[in-house]
Amino acid sequence: MVTATLKRLGTGFFPVAVLSLLLLVSLYLMSAATQNSEQFGRIFFVLLVVNVLGLITLLVLIAANLIRLVRQYRSQATGSRLTARLVVIFVVLSLLPVSVLYYFSLGFIQRGIDSWFDVRVESALDGALELTRLSLDERKKEILRRTEMMAENLYLMPDESSALLLNDLREQNDAYELVLFNRDAHVLGFSNIDPAVIIPALPDRALLTQLEYQGNYIGLDNKLGEGLFLRVIVPVHKSGDLTGAVMLQSLYTLSDRVGGMVSSVESAYAEYKRLTLMRDPLKFSFTLTLSLVLLLSCLTAVWAAFFSARRLVAPIRALSIGTRAVASGDYKKRLPLHSKDELGFLVESFNDMTHRIALSRDEVNRSQQMVERERAYLRVVLGRLSSGVLTLDKRRRIRTANASANQVLGLDLKLFIGKGIDTIVVDHQWLEGFVSAIDEHLSGDEREWREEVVVFAEMGRQIITCAGTAMATVDGKSAGYVIVFDDVTALVQAQRDAAWGEVARRLAHEIKNPLTPIQLSAERLRHKYLKTMSPQDADLLDRSTHTIIQQVKVMKEMVQSFSEYAHAPTLNLLPLPMGDFINEILDLYRGDKKIKIEALIDDDLPLMMMDAVRMRQLLHNLLVNAVDAVNAMDSDEVGLVKVSCHHVISGSAARMELQVQDSGPGIPENMMEQLFEPYVTSKPKGSGLGLAVVKKIVEEHGGSVQAKNTELGGCVIIRFPLDDARQKAVFDAVPAVETQSLQIDIDQDQDETSSNRGQI
Amino acid sequence: MQRIFPGLGRVSRLAQFVLSCILLFQVATVSAGGATVASIESQLRNDVHYLDARIQYGLTAPMLDALHKGVPLTFVLEIEISRQRNYVWDVTVAELEQRYLLEYHAVTQNYHVKNLNSGASYSLPSLDIALSVLGTIVDLPLLDDELLDSEANNVGRLRVQMDIEELPVPLRLLSYFSSEWHISSEWVTWSLQP
Repeated sequence: MVTATLKRLGTGFFPVAVLSLLLLVSLYLMSAATQNSEQFGRIFFVLLVVNVLGLITLLVLIAANLIRLVRQYRSQATGSRLTARLVVIFVVLSLLPVSVLYYFSLGFIQRGIDSWFDVRVESALDGALELTRLSLDERKKEILRRTEMMAENLYLMPDESSALLLNDLREQNDAYELVLFNRDAHVLGFSNIDPAVIIPALPDRALLTQLEYQGNYIGLDNKLGEGLFLRVIVPVHKSGDLTGAVMLQSLYTLSDRVGGMVSSVESAYAEYKRLTLMRDPLKFSFTLTLSLVLLLSCLTAVWAAFFSARRLVAPIRALSIGTRAVASGDYKKRLPLHSKDELGFLVESFNDMTHRIALSRDEVNRSQQMVERERAYLRVVLGRLSSGVLTLDKRRRIRTANASANQVLGLDLKLFIGKGIDTIVVDHQWLEGFVSAIDEHLSGDEREWREEVVVFAEMGRQIITCAGTAMATVDGKSAGYVIVFDDVTALVQAQRDAAWGEVARRLAHEIKNPLTPIQLSAERLRHKYLKTMSPQDADLLDRSTHTIIQQVKVMKEMVQSFSEYAHAPTLNLLPLPMGDFINEILDLYRGDKKIKIEALIDDDLPLMMMDAVRMRQLLHNLLVNAVDAVNAMDSDEVGLVKVSCHHVISGSAARMELQVQDSGPGIPENMMEQLFEPYVTSKPKGSGLGLAVVKKIVEEHGGSVQAKNTELGGCVIIRFPLDDARQKAVFDAVPAVETQSLQIDIDQDQDETSSNRGQI
Repeated sequence: MQRIFPGLGRVSRLAQFVLSCILLFQVATVSAGGATVASIESQLRNDVHYLDARIQYGLTAPMLDALHKGVPLTFVLEIEISRQRNYVWDVTVAELEQRYLLEYHAVTQNYHVKNLNSGASYSLPSLDIALSVLGTIVDLPLLDDELLDSEANNVGRLRVQMDIEELPVPLRLLSYFSSEWHISSEWVTWSLQP
């Protein structure tokens, strides 16, 4: 608190102004005292001390200000450089003229005091003094002579008569007073020019003592209060008294004119001599006073420089700090308003500006939050949307893509954000049809379009429906495009499967019902007429009915197959050890010496949740197809059926892959597209349902199937999905680098076979 | 030398002092500046204590110069009477200040000594006599005996110094910083006899 009070006193305007004013008054009094003023002369020393203390106080204040400024300057505080510059300018501006004035004032003081003294005046005064002395000496001698004469007259007179004679003697000699006294200072008689005076002016003790040794006395005396007197005391040697113990004192007045002149000469001489004595001290005291005035002026000016600079810089400093605060994002900064001048106006404008910026910022924030909420909402909607949504800017660069877009196209579109849509094709050539279809519509400047595109993806044929809309800004300029697409492969397939199922069901129903009467009728004909007919007719009947019965049987089996295809039983999923399961079925086919069954099955195949009956049918269908294909070669060489089962990593997912290859003639190119549809077969006796059933079973288990021709021959590849734990285990087992290479290998493999792959 | 006024009585005590001073200063002049209390004693007469003291003054060259150029010099005699006590500070019973003025008259070439308290003044023909008169304190009444505790040990002390505050201001300014303008004796203590 004390420090704060001191700081306030040190930096406030009024305390220092009052101090300066007091010092100025004190200096004025000191100056008056220097000029021999009786009133202030007595407090001269006090004034001097007060002034010195006041100046020291000012010095301390200035030093404190200076230290503060230096600290601020070193720490590069805001406004310190400007303050320092202003202080220097103010100080120089104030000190220069004051210093010049001081220099010339000193010269004036020196010369002014010196001009008081003149050799001629001094010698004139000396002469006047000497003249006065000589004049007085002459008068003294005369009075002494007269007094001695009066003493001689009194010597002859007896004591009784002396007193009477004194009056005559005084009048005769024109004396002011005559006193006759003895050694006991006892007045024997006296006569004064004024009869009213009854007490004579006897000499004082010191004079009496002096008389005791010197005999007589003559001197100028001015202590009677009535002007200057000449006092003469001589002994009167009365008759009978040889000791001379009776003294005669005569007083003579100097005329007023003479007395006045003597006093005037004496006082003038004394005054001049005093002045010569005080010549240097006067110079010193005037110089001291002037120096103190200069110091007071300079120190007050320096302090005022600090004060003014601080006052001037304060709003600028506040503005600077405020600007920094605003630059760093603090729009709530309000600067204190100290004045109503231009700087005050500036501060007010600044406050107004920051207020407006803060309002705008808040508004922008609110808008941004609203946009963010809308965007988040849209993102959620798009994320949950099963359709892929792709937005392009007007230069056909991808701006956004939702998760479903990635799933539909089978790639991570985030990697292509900001790139042209055609860059997708570089690494994903199967999307060429998709991209070119979009390009075509965009080039045609169609506002809305819709198209179904078929691409041959990694997992097979894919039907994608695309719908595009050109977006426009408020002023009608192009703002890009939105493309919504959907993978309708499954839908189309499901529709097709449903149609085929219905066909099969109806076929089975319509055909199966008349077959039994046909078979029974044929058997009855055979049973009734075979024995009664001639051997030739019987033979004909036997072959004919046999054929009818056989064909009906075949038709029944075929109808049964259709029925089975149409009515898929409910899956009974159980953990199935794939390796053992496959080997077990392969064993059934190993008896044929013409065909070599080669199994490449990984040891660490997991237990897969599968329906064993359906899987067995799947494997049988594939193996039968393979064996038939090998046998169709009709070659003496031993055919080869290669079955492999292992993990693969495709894209971001790991799967279990089952491949069945044969050394047969391969799949005819014209059948590739419909290979997995019913009634598609290259075999003369095939029902065309084998691969259709395979595909159905695979899809029931969530897998995918594709067929292609390899160097060996036809190849069917089935991939089953793995659960998350198994996927993680697969990824952990394969180092990252290998994963990449494995994926690349697969991609290359696919590239090589893309030309002859078949997709059902 | 034969005395002219053998019957001057008490008055002659001062005369004796002055005379002895004159004789003394005729043989030895104080060249250096300073003030020394040469002797001091007090006497009790008619229940009043009177002080007798002799002080030797010596003026410095600047003082003499100033005196002869018309600057009066003021001397202050400070006297304190106190009662001594054991273990605690003394009690001041009385304080007394006597001021004297010494000045020179150029026309008469006399020195004037004036007691500013009593108004008594003396015109003296030489500086030595003036200084001796200035330094002679005779029968200065101090205080009534009633004011003193007769059982206690009463002491007085005296100091004399030149009052520079009475100098003209320009000279005073110099005198603050110059030792040649400072004349002061030590405090001299004496015991007041009952």
